Amino acid sequence: MDSDDNRDLQLVARLRQLDASGAATPPSFGYDRMLERHAAAGERARRRRMLARGTASALVVGLIGVSLWRVEVGDPPSLPETTESAAGVAAPAEPRIVRADTYFALAALEDRIATVDDALSMARTYSPRGAEVARLERTRAELLDSYAQVRYAELVSANY
Amino acid sequence: MQRLAEIGISDTELAAARAGDGAARRALFDRVAPGAFAFIRRLVRHQAMAEDLLQDTLIAMFEHLQDFRGEAPFGIWVRRIAVSRCLMAFRSPWHRARQALDSWIEDGQASSAAEGRTADLIDLDRALARLSPVTRTVVWLYDVEGWTHEEIAHAFERTVSFSKSQLARGHARLRSELVAPMTASLSVPLGSELDGQ
Repeated sequence: MDSDDNRDLQLVARLRQLDASGAATPPSFGYDRMLERHAAAGERARRRRMLARGTASALVVGLIGVSLWRVEVGDPPSLPETTESAAGVAAPAEPRIVRADTYFALAALEDRIATVDDALSMARTYSPRGAEVARLERTRAELLDSYAQVRYAELVSANY
Repeated sequence: MQRLAEIGISDTELAAARAGDGAARRALFDRVAPGAFAFIRRLVRHQAMAEDLLQDTLIAMFEHLQDFRGEAPFGIWVRRIAVSRCLMAFRSPWHRARQALDSWIEDGQASSAAEGRTADLIDLDRALARLSPVTRTVVWLYDVEGWTHEEIAHAFERTVSFSKSQLARGHARLRSELVAPMTASLSVPLGSELDGQ
């Protein structure tokens, strides 16, 4: 341990000797050249930023275009029917409706799910194990699935 | 050449430079640049990169002259800026890529400023150049510039034990590098390329 310490001390002494011997090469530029270099570096950085912004904008526009192109534009979901009957709240034939403007689709799905919930609650009260309850539960699951898909599409397009 | 840490500045020079006086700024550049460059070259082997870092350091120095409060000598304040710029550069992926390229040309650079030195110091310079930038910086700051482990840890945003372990590793590596040239040449068996033929 002592010998390690001694060797470290010798090493430190030699490093300081190296520092003192420093016949360092001077920088290759003076004050004026430094300012020129700095201005040039600033200009390069500005160009890089502009290029990056342009690329990012083009990418965003492209992705939005692609996402809109890929979206299946279907009929907007009809507003929920207010009938009390379970048949009235059945899901449409194609529940997986996705469109660019998701606000109305989501609102309609939420309303429809709420209506199904009401109907389900009533059906459970009157016939807990009836076929109507099973059908309503299936319908509710499908509506929730559609709702999740639309929300996902909304998130994806927002992130792009 | 004056060491960076020993460079001072008078109140009038500082006031003129702060006011944007071109002559005062030029004079300040002439006084600080050689010491700052020598210091940066100790931490960064690559000449062009060291010049870029010198430029960053001096531009930052001029831009932040208002923040210099005179609590420490001017050169120490500049040295802190230089260390911070070097550490930022070490962290960049670009620097890591460049390091790989530098390993091809390492020995020539260490000896470029070797005039007037003993063989012993040239060996030490080369051994120092072979350390990783982080280890070399810790060794130089602690052993030569007199920083404490706490100061080094703060600069690197790491723990004190990081500084201690880097220093111990650096010393061990330097010791082995300084002993290695002789033993390495002796340990290579002559004619080994012909073995098995």
